[in-house]
Amino acid sequence: MLSFVARRIAVAIPTLLILIVFSFVVMFAAPGGPFDSERPLPAQVLANIEARYGLDQPYWRQIVDYVWGVVIHFDFGPSFQYRDRSVNDIIAQGFPVTLTYGIWSALVAVVVGVSLGTAAALRQNSWLDYLAVGVTIGAQALPNFVMAPVLILVFTLMLGWLPGGGWNGGQWTHVIMPVIALSTSYMASIARIMRSSMLETLNSNFIRTARAKGLPMSRVIWRHAMKPALLPVISYLGPAMVGMITGSVIVDVIFSTGGIGSYFVNSAFNRDYAVIMGITILVGALTISFNLLVDILYAWIDPKIRY
Amino acid sequence: MALLDVRDLTVTFQTNDGPVNAVNGLSFAVDTHETLAIVGESGSGKSQTAFAIMGLLARNGGAAGQALFDGTDLLTLSPRQLNRVRANQIAMIFQDPMTSLNPYMRVSDQMAEVLQLHRGLSKRDAVAEAAQMLDAVRIPDAKARIGMYPHEFSGGMRQRIMIAMALLCRPRLLIADEPTTALDVTVQAQIMQLLADIREEFGTAVILITHDLGIVAGFCDRTLVLYGGQIMEEGPTQAIFDDPSHPYTSGLLKAVPRLDRDDADLLTIAGEPPDMSHLPAGCPFSPRCDWVRDECPGLKPPLVPFAADRRRACHVAAEEITR
Repeated sequence: MLSFVARRIAVAIPTLLILIVFSFVVMFAAPGGPFDSERPLPAQVLANIEARYGLDQPYWRQIVDYVWGVVIHFDFGPSFQYRDRSVNDIIAQGFPVTLTYGIWSALVAVVVGVSLGTAAALRQNSWLDYLAVGVTIGAQALPNFVMAPVLILVFTLMLGWLPGGGWNGGQWTHVIMPVIALSTSYMASIARIMRSSMLETLNSNFIRTARAKGLPMSRVIWRHAMKPALLPVISYLGPAMVGMITGSVIVDVIFSTGGIGSYFVNSAFNRDYAVIMGITILVGALTISFNLLVDILYAWIDPKIRY
Repeated sequence: MALLDVRDLTVTFQTNDGPVNAVNGLSFAVDTHETLAIVGESGSGKSQTAFAIMGLLARNGGAAGQALFDGTDLLTLSPRQLNRVRANQIAMIFQDPMTSLNPYMRVSDQMAEVLQLHRGLSKRDAVAEAAQMLDAVRIPDAKARIGMYPHEFSGGMRQRIMIAMALLCRPRLLIADEPTTALDVTVQAQIMQLLADIREEFGTAVILITHDLGIVAGFCDRTLVLYGGQIMEEGPTQAIFDDPSHPYTSGLLKAVPRLDRDDADLLTIAGEPPDMSHLPAGCPFSPRCDWVRDECPGLKPPLVPFAADRRRACHVAAEEITR
């Protein structure tokens, strides 16, 4: 197991390097640059600016310098757009916000989704099951750019219970609505996956054996059915966790939470190369980490998997 | 009083095409220390009979009638009361040992929980006793291997584990639902020998459900032949083998492959196993019967005693039916 983790980490490093180089190349291949504007700058001014950010160097040199900075100094360079702010500053400011509501969203999605899916499976074809299936289909169909404004409309404008935006250091009143807006569709997916995998597990022969042993239904569910039923949920959670933790652009924009999502989009519009790269690497590293985590969880649950 | 007395058992499944009866008014009894074979093709209702007794029917299935175990009707027990009977008084082993054990739990945990639940043993004592039972079903090096997962055992070994698990609480009745069907022929013989040995050792009554008459002969005191969820004939195994009194039994016996005869042809019973949703009003076997008469499809033959300890349901006289 340890050697498996070590090997996976060893593979993760070149994966991340390839990701960096590839993103870099794609970014430069796109027409335009960070300092192009409607009215062209005088050639000398442009040359000065480009020299300051190292854009006058040949591409390979820029890539090597960048990778060197990231790997050795953990320095993602200066932002091209926000003067006097480095990419490290932007990530340090935005990522904790995103991480906070991302982790809360993941928790809510897993706990509510797994409970709802299990309950629906146990009462298959009852009103509870139909309600759960209906709610989850609705929740999956409802985009969060619709849900977020509706939440603000109801809880801020009509009821006046919650602030309509801002972060305020992560005070819980500011966290609730972003978490609801972000987690609902993930919760619905998890509930639906959980329902069908629990149904399948409950129909398997070893569950019949467990019942024939005289175990009460609660024990049958917890000791015998839960682990196998969770496996499909866990594989879904890998990419879903990354999605939730890196946050949704829409949630950041609508609730003005100042998370990393809004920077990601702005940096792409502004050709802020350093910020694009920084966030891409962050997301890439998270994706690799969560996939590794999923594999480890899988191996822990399923004894047939040996690495 | 019989250990298990099943009276007029009917199992009905609610399907999209309406209710379908898998078992139709079945009555039989098993005495203490007795071994009863329930024989029939796929879909004859053998397994559903067992599931109904154990309360393990699928969610769309329901049982009517009575299943008196020691005088208590199992069909009327609450889930809680039934759980005290399961494994403790009546244990069951299943057809497919490859999927009947939980692949995500160690064998030790799966076995120990039976003793922890029914006998209140500590985990440690329960595992020790479970290891002894694995030893009794002749799993080599049981103490070391009990901590393994099911996939680390062969099919035959897994069925031994199932048998050991079923015997942990010394049940008075063991229901074995096609215990050897999924196994190699050589392993089949070992498992049947093991079942015979433990039956002696533990004094357990056994219901053996099978479609394989070959394994019934040396093992079962009495045999019940089932077709379309109804009893075709019942009696001492030896008598039924020597002198079958029902066309279906006769057909089943002809279909047993024999190595001691030259004829290479394997005889089969013509036609398909019955479609339970469209059974004839009369004898369910009449569409495939060689002896069929005009009255057979329309008039159900009653199950009547006819010789010492034997019952049969057929319009044709017993003397006319030959092997």
